Amino acid sequence: MLLDEQAFIFGKSLTVMQNDSFLIQQLKDKDERALSLLYDKYAGAIYSVIIKMVRDEGKAQNLLQDTFMTVWDKAESYDANKGRFYTWVFRIARNKTLNFLRKVEPLIQTDDFSVYDSKEDAISIDAKYLELNGAITSLEAHHKEAIELVYFKGLTHKEAHQQMDVPLGTFKSYVRQALKQLRQTYTKTLSLLLLILKAL
Amino acid sequence: MDKKHILDNGLLEQYLLGELNAQDCKQIEHALASDTELKAQFDALEKDFEMLGLENAIEPPKGIKYQLIQDIREAKDTKNNKGNSNLKFYLGIAASVAALSMLGGFWMYNELSDVKQQLQTVETEKTELNDKLNNLNQQIENETVLFATVTHPDTEQYVLKGNTLMPDGKVVSYVNHSTKSVVINTERLPKLDAEHDYQMWADVEGEMINMGVIGKDQNLMAMRYIDHAESLNITIEPAGGNDHPTVVQLVTNVYLK
Repeated sequence: MLLDEQAFIFGKSLTVMQNDSFLIQQLKDKDERALSLLYDKYAGAIYSVIIKMVRDEGKAQNLLQDTFMTVWDKAESYDANKGRFYTWVFRIARNKTLNFLRKVEPLIQTDDFSVYDSKEDAISIDAKYLELNGAITSLEAHHKEAIELVYFKGLTHKEAHQQMDVPLGTFKSYVRQALKQLRQTYTKTLSLLLLILKAL
Repeated sequence: MDKKHILDNGLLEQYLLGELNAQDCKQIEHALASDTELKAQFDALEKDFEMLGLENAIEPPKGIKYQLIQDIREAKDTKNNKGNSNLKFYLGIAASVAALSMLGGFWMYNELSDVKQQLQTVETEKTELNDKLNNLNQQIENETVLFATVTHPDTEQYVLKGNTLMPDGKVVSYVNHSTKSVVINTERLPKLDAEHDYQMWADVEGEMINMGVIGKDQNLMAMRYIDHAESLNITIEPAGGNDHPTVVQLVTNVYLK
């Protein structure tokens, strides 16, 4: 049952990941419909990253809108040869959010780079926004934390290893191992999905 | 930057997440472009991260997309309006140019009218000068004729001396019977008022025949030649001349030989 659900989420994500070069070309040609479709595909994932970084629904929504506004304005500068569209949008969102956090609340930043922990008391946010889902939940705790810090909390490797209080080299190997396991899980789930499809 | 260094230091991950500075990014991009195996690893990494993101997607409120599209349309409108204002700007320039052209045209028209006026004046003056020249030519012709008469070898000169009515006046007359012409010099005739003129008469067998009224504006003039004239006589007559001489007003006369 759990596997079925995982396969469902995975399958849905896989559908989203289909090649969208045509939509991107339309986006570059300033087609609102293309923006709308790309938004539908990726806004959820981007919103999740932003809200986990700022821990404030209102601010996260503003930043999400701002991110896609930039996507619209700067679509011309996206180069598919250099990487996936999602990666490009992710970087825009991450940069915007970090800039926002540095600008509005520089005093909250503490020595241990935990921009967020000190805010946690002040801002109440529904815990569901901070929860992680999917393959990452099956990782070992320290692997999961390493990915969470660099991917969902916007920390650099240098900041994150200090946060976890392990040497930088160790932290990097955490990330590498975590990614390896994620890869395995995804491959396994893909096989399972194909099996289910076949059975149907 | 070699592949091993990139992989050992987790630079692909950091590049993907946007942690690297511009210079490092360039080096990674260069390495990815030249190494297909590294690129394949990066592609797989991107897919994993993307899957991770999608698995954790949180649906944002519907209003955000609506607001986004609204903002884009507003920005578009503003841009278009800017275009319009540009258009207005250019139209303004065009209108100014047109206005200036009109003013220029008006000014040119005025100038043209002035020039036309001047041309007309010049034309008029030219006509006047031509007339004057014609008059002068005519005069010269006349004078030449008179001079020819005066200097003709057959011409005889008779001086008409003033009588008691005109003690200081005299007229010199030149008579040529071969060319049948008479010319007189009136330089010494006293001036008359506007109501009177001198008139010349020829006496032919007791009858006075009109030779013409003596003009006031020239000194040398031709008079009518009368055949068989015995004497030349000058009387003062009402302005314009008379049909018959007023004998009491005879001021001078001379007998021809």
